Parts: sequence; structure tokens; C-alpha cells
Amino acid sequence: MLKKIPKWNLVLVLTLVAEIIIFGLINPRFWNVNILLNSFNDFTGIAIIGFFVTFVIITGGIDISGGSIIGLTSVVTGILSQVAGLNIWLSVLLAIIVGGLCGLLNGILIAYAGVQAMIITLGGMLLYGGVAIVLVGLSGASTYEGISGFSQQFINLTNGKLMGIPHSVILFVVMLFISYVLLHWTRYGRYIYSTGINQNAADYSGIDTRKIITSTYVLSGLSAGIAGVMLTSYLGSARADFGSEYLMPILTAVVLGGTLITGGKGGVIGTALASIIVGFLKLGLQMGGMQTQYIGLAIGLLLIISVSFLGVPEFRSNVRRLLKR
Amino acid sequence: MPKLIGITKHREFRTVIFLVLIFLLVGIVNSGFISPGNIDNAVKSSLLYIVLAVGMTFVLLTGNIDISVGGVLGLSAAVSGTILRDGGSVLIAVIAAIGIGVLIGVINGLGVTKLKISAFIMTLGMNEIIRVIQVIYTDGQWVENLPTHFKQLSQMKIFGVNTLAIFVIIAVVLVHLYLSKSQKGRYFAAIGDNEDGAVLVGISVNKVKILSFVISSVCASLAGLVFVSQIGFISTTAGAGIEMTVIAAAVLGGVSLSGGVGSVIGAAIGAIIMSSINSALVFLKVPAFWNNAISGSLLIIIVVTDVLIARRANNKAKKERLNARVLSVHGEGVKLEC
Repeated sequence: MLKKIPKWNLVLVLTLVAEIIIFGLINPRFWNVNILLNSFNDFTGIAIIGFFVTFVIITGGIDISGGSIIGLTSVVTGILSQVAGLNIWLSVLLAIIVGGLCGLLNGILIAYAGVQAMIITLGGMLLYGGVAIVLVGLSGASTYEGISGFSQQFINLTNGKLMGIPHSVILFVVMLFISYVLLHWTRYGRYIYSTGINQNAADYSGIDTRKIITSTYVLSGLSAGIAGVMLTSYLGSARADFGSEYLMPILTAVVLGGTLITGGKGGVIGTALASIIVGFLKLGLQMGGMQTQYIGLAIGLLLIISVSFLGVPEFRSNVRRLLKR
Repeated sequence: MPKLIGITKHREFRTVIFLVLIFLLVGIVNSGFISPGNIDNAVKSSLLYIVLAVGMTFVLLTGNIDISVGGVLGLSAAVSGTILRDGGSVLIAVIAAIGIGVLIGVINGLGVTKLKISAFIMTLGMNEIIRVIQVIYTDGQWVENLPTHFKQLSQMKIFGVNTLAIFVIIAVVLVHLYLSKSQKGRYFAAIGDNEDGAVLVGISVNKVKILSFVISSVCASLAGLVFVSQIGFISTTAGAGIEMTVIAAAVLGGVSLSGGVGSVIGAAIGAIIMSSINSALVFLKVPAFWNNAISGSLLIIIVVTDVLIARRANNKAKKERLNARVLSVHGEGVKLEC
């Protein structure tokens, strides 16, 4: 049974357990389950995007436009519901679709025009973030305060609880389940891996790799849309710069989760564990009295160390030997 | 080979045409835009981006990427700014800035070559770390009250043209000659074009890669000095997000992210385009919030057109080669029969 679980995920679980024990010893309040569950609010957005960016990275691409799509969908939700006066749930749906369309544009240009993913999503990052700012500017709302005045129903979407469990935790689990099923239990998931391992071979074996690649960007865009709506509801206002700091945490979650940046290998369970580790790390360091602005140092180091850990073969064989003992 | 050089020349030519078009079109709407005063201003405000884009080109040529330039710019600006504020000499400030650049460049380079971390992840993590170091160093404060003599360095003029601009332009031309004409300079593009081939030819690939990161970081720290001199104060977020603009500028100028193709002159022109979009919008009386949307869509449109044009040329060349081969085989066949 243990053998079936990828080694790296085991390391991640051990890290998570160690983290909870250590931070709990520093500050016993850390062992309060409610505080831990509530902290999901801060990183569920990162994790949701991370799941589907994992898809993109497995195919050998990269998507850095997620953060900007968050801002765009947040603004679209705000403008449609508050300025245009549409039903809130309809505007949420439309905003998520806008996120998907952004992903579709990325995907088509990358898969069919054959431009590098990095360039297109960089352009997309500027473009979608820019469109969000333009929309705010045209709607006449203040850029700094954003659009607020959402109904309590919408605010409760993420701030509410179901049987004591915060909605954001439920959203996290549901999205994890969806992405896990898609990636590991369906033919589509196998196609994603084959595309990432060798795109030419996949093409010759009859997989429409262009369609597969495009679809991963669409999923990543949709997930960014969901994260954008979630963040809008959580913070009770719509702003264009939501998510501008998300690039680094998303990629950290994916890469720390054991997904190879060159494609072909990885999984969403790792991404989920890694995003929880990073989220708890932030919470624990804050509760341990560390200032928020220094936390980037820990996360940056974690990113580099984990990647060198995964990338260098000697490192990996050492870990394997340690685990076998 | 001459054909390849012809294509790159062609690419820069298009970038220049594009730049001239921007200036002409905006100039038609508002003639103030093409006045010598504004062109001088446009060059002056793009100096920072040009310096960064030149350094970035080295890394991009080898097929890597450097996200940490924004952080390096901020840290070197903060450190040298503090030295200047506390009465240190300009020379010490410059040495400190370059030292920071070399150190971070070496760390980046070692991480990418020895630890085999992908350049994107390595420099992204590095960027985050450097930012925190800057906050720790400045204690979260802005660096202000810089001596006026340093601020005036960027305002000096010779024959009515900004001295710094002349200096940077000469440097760009020299670097271009180094990269395109000298043997060592060609190594950078060779590695990006075909790394295994470069190893077989006897290039010490790792050394050149580390060197490229060092050059990029040193350029970023020099840009930090330009920043100190031009802006006059350093916030804790100085240079945040500038790396994406610089990469976009280099790509606009025809530098390929997959390595091997591009020139510093193209990157420099790309930098001028990116920074003049800002002032063009002011002259067109378009609200400033359009800035990112316009530069993003410009980047996408230009790159996609470029790739499509290149692909068409490639297909044509392939067809010609195939035809030539088929014909030559026929020729041999005829000979054998004889």
C-alpha cells in the first residue's frame, strides 16, 4: 500500500506533520483546528489555480497569467452585479466564463500558433490585468477602494460554514477531487501526461495534442476565474489588483508538489499538499511572531531547495535510501 | 549562415519601422510628441529599461531567463543609495552595486548550472529572497534625502544631449559588436541554439552560462544606480514587476525566449517602444489606465505575427530543400544509368 504512494508525496506529508508539531510547540494556539481550517481562506485561491496549472506544466507549458485573470474576473463580477445591476449569480457565472475565455485565448495562441507559452502568458498577464484596470477606470469606480456593496448572500459564499467546516475548505476539497479524477482516472488525464512526455509521439499515436494543450489552459483560466470570484466574496470588494502577488505562490505550490517544470511528471495531490504546507508555514511564522514581509524569504528558500532536491539525482537517491531504512 | 544573419537583420529592421511608426502616428495627432525635447525625454526615460534589456539579452540568448533583475535593481539601489546618503563616495556606491550584481549573478548561475534548477524557478525564488533582504536592509524604510550631486549625474548634458544617454547608446553598440563579431561573444548564441553542439565544439557551456547571469545581474545593479540618480528616492518596492516589462521589451525586439536568436540593439529598441507607449498615451490624451492593456496586446500581436511569418519562411525553405534533394537524387540516378 505504501509503495503505491509516490515517495515525494510521502515526504510532503511528513513535512506537513513536522510543521504542525513544530509550530504547535512554538505557539499552542496553532493546534486549534478552527484556526487551521480558517487559514484555508488565505490559500484556497492559490491551490485551486495550482491544481490546473499543474495540468499545464505537465503538458510542458507554463501559465503565469493566473494572477491577472483573478483581478479581471473579480472586476467583471463587480461591474456586472453592482454597476450593470445583473443578478449576482449570473454575473459570477459570466465572470468565470470570462476567465475560461482568457485561458482559451492563451491556449489557442500557444497550441495552434506555436508561440512559447511563457511569452503568451506574459502578454496575457499584462493584457488581462490591463483590461481589468481599464474596466475599473471606465466604470468610474475608485481604483484603490474597488467596487463594493455586495449582497450578504454573496459574501457568505466563502465566509460561511457548513457543519463547522468553512466553505473554502469544501471548495478546496471539491476542486481537488475534480482535478484528481480528471488527471488520474480518465483517458483525458493520460493524454495530458503523454503530451508532456513526448508531444510528437503522442501526435503520432492519434492524440490531438493541440486540443489537449488548449484545454489545459482553458481549465487553468476557469480555475483562476473561480479563485477570482472566491476572493471577491471573501474580501467583499472587487479590485483589479487582486492576485497580483499570486504568481510566486502558485508556482511554488506546483513545483514544491513534485511536478517537473519540464513536463511529463507530477500530480495534483502533491500540489494540494504543497499549498497546505506553504499556507501553514505562513500562518505558523506569523503566529510565531515573524513579520509578514520576511515570510517571502522562507518561501523563496523553500522553492529553490525543494527544486534542487528534486532535480539532482544524488539528492533523490539519498532520500530513497533514507526512506528504505 | 548568411541567410540567418539576413533574417535577424530583417527582424530588427521591422522593430525600428514599428518604433518610427509609433512616433509618426502619435506625432500626426499631437505634433508635440516628435519635438526634440520629447524624443530626448523618451530616450532618457527608457535608459533604465535599455540597460536591463541588454543584460537580459545575454541570459535569453543562452536559452535561460532571469526574473530576479527587478529584485537586484531594488537591492543595489537601496544599498548604494544608503551609502550615498550617509556621505560615502560615488565610487564606493558603484563598487557596492556591482558587487551585489556579481554575487547574485554567480548564485543564480551556480543554481542553474550545478544544481540543475530551471532558470525560471531559480531566479523567481531568488527575486523573492532579494526583496526580503532589501526590506531587512532598509528596515522597511524608504531611502530618501540623496545628495543632489548624484542626482545631477543623470541630468548632465553634452551638446544638448543627455550624457548618460550617449554613454548607454555607445555601450549598446559595443556590446552588439562583441556579441555578433567576437568569438567569445558568439558563444552565448551558440549555446542557446544548440547546447549539445556547443559542448562538442569545446565551449565550456557552464562557465558561459554563469557569465550570462553575472552580466544580467550586473546590468540590473547598474540600472539600480541609474534609478537612484533619475528618481532620487528608493521605495521598498522599487523595480517590482519590472522584470516582466524587460522580458517583453526583449521579445518585442526580436530576442527569442528559446535562445540563440536576437541582438541587444533589438532589445534596446524594444525597451524604447515599451517605455514610449506610456508617454504616447499621454500625448494622445488617452487615460493612463490603458497602458498595460495596450502593451500586453501589442506584445501578443507582434509575437504571434512574427512566429507565423517565420513559420511560413521555414516551410518555404523546407520545400526548397526537399525539391533540391529530390532533383539531385534524380540527377544521380540518371548518371548511374548512363
